[in-house]
Amino acid sequence: MTLNTYLRALALFYRTLLPQTILLSALVLGATALGAGLLQLPWPPPLGPGLVLMKLGTFPLLAYLEHRLRPHQYWFYRNLHLAPWQLWAPLVVLDTLAFCALAGVLHQLVA
Amino acid sequence: MRTPEIPRPAAAHLLEADGIRLAFGNRVLLSDVYLRVQTGQVVGLLGRNGCGKSTLLQTLSGGRQVADASVRANGRRVVPAYRQPGLLNYLPQVPVLPRQLPIAAAARLLGVNAAAALSAFPELLAQVQRPVGELSGGTARLVEVLLLLHADTRFTLLDEPFTGVMPVHLETLADVMRAVKLRKGLLLTDHRYEQVLALCDVVYLLHDGRLELLANPREGLRDRGYISS
Repeated sequence: MTLNTYLRALALFYRTLLPQTILLSALVLGATALGAGLLQLPWPPPLGPGLVLMKLGTFPLLAYLEHRLRPHQYWFYRNLHLAPWQLWAPLVVLDTLAFCALAGVLHQLVA
Repeated sequence: MRTPEIPRPAAAHLLEADGIRLAFGNRVLLSDVYLRVQTGQVVGLLGRNGCGKSTLLQTLSGGRQVADASVRANGRRVVPAYRQPGLLNYLPQVPVLPRQLPIAAAARLLGVNAAAALSAFPELLAQVQRPVGELSGGTARLVEVLLLLHADTRFTLLDEPFTGVMPVHLETLADVMRAVKLRKGLLLTDHRYEQVLALCDVVYLLHDGRLELLANPREGLRDRGYISS
């Protein structure tokens, strides 16, 4: 498999999961907004380990839901000689980076 | 209708599996399995519903992990087999191509020339830009089978490739498989046993967890109650 094919497969996998990752990111930000409202803290919070950990904590839930709702989707990628971890590892990194960038921009805009 | 020309390989390759034991609770699904597929062969795997045919194919492909399963390519252990570039691909019972993907894009990802792969079915050529999800179930199945057959792997495992494919296409599809087997080994399972028997060089029957190579397939299937006449 060429790098180009791998990247296209990754893009396809990420696109499939994008609605769910956006929803979960929104839930994380919503939870921080709720917490900030209750504790009289400024929102959005600065980017920190707590926020990143909250985002990372959504991936096991996402993986579980995908396993339950679309258990057969990996057969296509296996035909590209790709194991599920080769799809998930870059997705976790990329999506977490995108979330961090969004949180950073939000913080800059509001602060 | 014409089938694409495919060059003959220089040397035969061998895919073998044994040591596959699998039980669900007290029910032993697979207990004594030795399977062998060689390039240049179409191998049929028959058996009753629920006897473990799909499980066996999944185990062979490496998508299902079974302890102690040994899958070998030319004597070399390859577990999971799907991770070996160019070794095998697998068509599961369920649709395999992402629904939103156009046929042409799926073919590109699989490294297949869509025009060559679909050339035996001119009506499919006009649909290569359509997403797979817009095709009828039978047409999508036919496209999946053709793309996997033409992918550059030594072996292709097909779980119910004829399901939903209309009769007028079955004979052409069989011709494509005969052409492809000149460079590949095909392992297929399907309940259309007449098509399977007409196509296969070797037939296995899976029953009571054991895999049996049938010397006389039709007689063997009748004696074991798989067919009635």
